[in-house]
Amino acid sequence: MSASEEYVFVCPDCEESMEVNPSMRDALVANGCVVCGAPVSIDAFTRVESSADP
Amino acid sequence: MGLEQETEMTREETDALLSRHETGVLSLASDDDPYAIPISYGYDADERQFYMRLVSTPDSKKREFLSGSPTVRLVVYEEAGRTYRSVVVSGVLHPIARDEITPEHVEQYGDAKRPLFEIWGDARKDLDIQLYVLRPETISGRRIELELDQ
Repeated sequence: MSASEEYVFVCPDCEESMEVNPSMRDALVANGCVVCGAPVSIDAFTRVESSADP
Repeated sequence: MGLEQETEMTREETDALLSRHETGVLSLASDDDPYAIPISYGYDADERQFYMRLVSTPDSKKREFLSGSPTVRLVVYEEAGRTYRSVVVSGVLHPIARDEITPEHVEQYGDAKRPLFEIWGDARKDLDIQLYVLRPETISGRRIELELDQ
């Protein structure tokens, strides 16, 4: 089984931080930060490197 | 101005009113101490649930009243000419922990208005933003038609 894609989201406005999967990332970009409502771009996400990767 | 007619609204009328508005007054209580606050919400008419972001400071009275899963009432009303409509919702306010947030929640909160941080005197970092869902036990809508005396 391949490792699932994970990202760290940091809201540019309220600075809320959470680890998210691709469907959450897409929902945040489409709807804005769930905590404060600020618009969110793809730049707010950083790919998490899996420790299982070589 | 006299009272002409008071009618219970249908579910469709009630849902329509709740959907076209986005603010109301949320009432909480602790023993005999009442607490009412203006809030904004997003309403899911299919699930009949309300989604709210409530902002408070850690030691505030508001935070105290919101602790746990409080029983609340939400009032939304409007006045249009001689027609007055109001909806009273009673139910339980459930906090949503950050690790319970789903893509569906993100979509629901996308319909809720942003908190007006500028009305708070405190720095943003000192504000606690908690997500809640209000699951109603009852939703009651009334329409009153007023008759002008003169």
